[in-house]
Amino acid sequence: MMKKGLTILFFLWVGVWLSGCAAMETPKQVPYKVMPGGIVVWEDEIEFKIPPPGWKLLRVESGENDINFGFMRSDPGGFPSVTTFAYDEEPFGCSAASFEGREREFFKRFLFNAILQFQILERKKVQVVGGEGLQVDVEGKDPVKGEKVRARVVFGKRGDRIIGFYITQWRTMDGVYDLSAFEVFDRFWGSFKFLKKSFYQTLVENP
Amino acid sequence: MEGHQRNLYLYDRFNARVVGVSRDDVTTLKYWGKDLGVTFPLLSNITGFLGVTFDTLVEGKPIFRRRTVIIDKTGIIRYSRDGSPDFKDILLFLKKLNHEGGKP
Repeated sequence: MMKKGLTILFFLWVGVWLSGCAAMETPKQVPYKVMPGGIVVWEDEIEFKIPPPGWKLLRVESGENDINFGFMRSDPGGFPSVTTFAYDEEPFGCSAASFEGREREFFKRFLFNAILQFQILERKKVQVVGGEGLQVDVEGKDPVKGEKVRARVVFGKRGDRIIGFYITQWRTMDGVYDLSAFEVFDRFWGSFKFLKKSFYQTLVENP
Repeated sequence: MEGHQRNLYLYDRFNARVVGVSRDDVTTLKYWGKDLGVTFPLLSNITGFLGVTFDTLVEGKPIFRRRTVIIDKTGIIRYSRDGSPDFKDILLFLKKLNHEGGKP
């Protein structure tokens, strides 16, 4: 009886020990810290205001021309009703001399998987991360699929290189855009601060 | 290719030159390079013999596998990676190579 009791006690102890192991699992590493006042510090490099609840984090790890990170939300109305905005350290194109040159190159490839007829709605100069930038609002339509997208692209500079922010809002052709999402996007890029020099700036300054 | 074009000023700083090689014909490459705004040379290698040298031939297909190769000034391959180029890795390698004096 004593032996049976010890065996049960042993299994109980193993059970407790194993559950302890599960509880002690290393917490998942995230690339950001949320600071007081709704400020996010991303990889100790970038600071921005966190979007309101309902926006999910979107991240592509690496690769040529991929976005760095962004946020998305599903909108009412079914497919393709979704809004996505992102920060892109290497927007399409290669010109660094002028935003207008980069804009031309960028829109050759922007949303190139969709066959869209783009129309420029507005183009204006803006202040981005402490310097001059360019904001371009466009609308693209795909009459075959019956879809449309409204987008805003903001070009700015980090050191010698052009960076980009963009938002896309997809709708069915008769769908209505929700422009409040563009205000969330504007607050996102408007609050952007670089806390340290970029890889490229450091590379050049420390030969 | 756009990524390399964006980094030309940095390659220059590290005494490196970039050349693209493709199995497309000259006319196609001229149009493609102009459309992308690429100013560095794009070499047409229709017969694909460079694919033997760099081991980038794809059996049964008239294309090269994507590979980034860095050759030093003595002609030795010092860096070879498949897939999309990792530009930060490439730049750090070129910087190191330039410091060593083995200018690419």
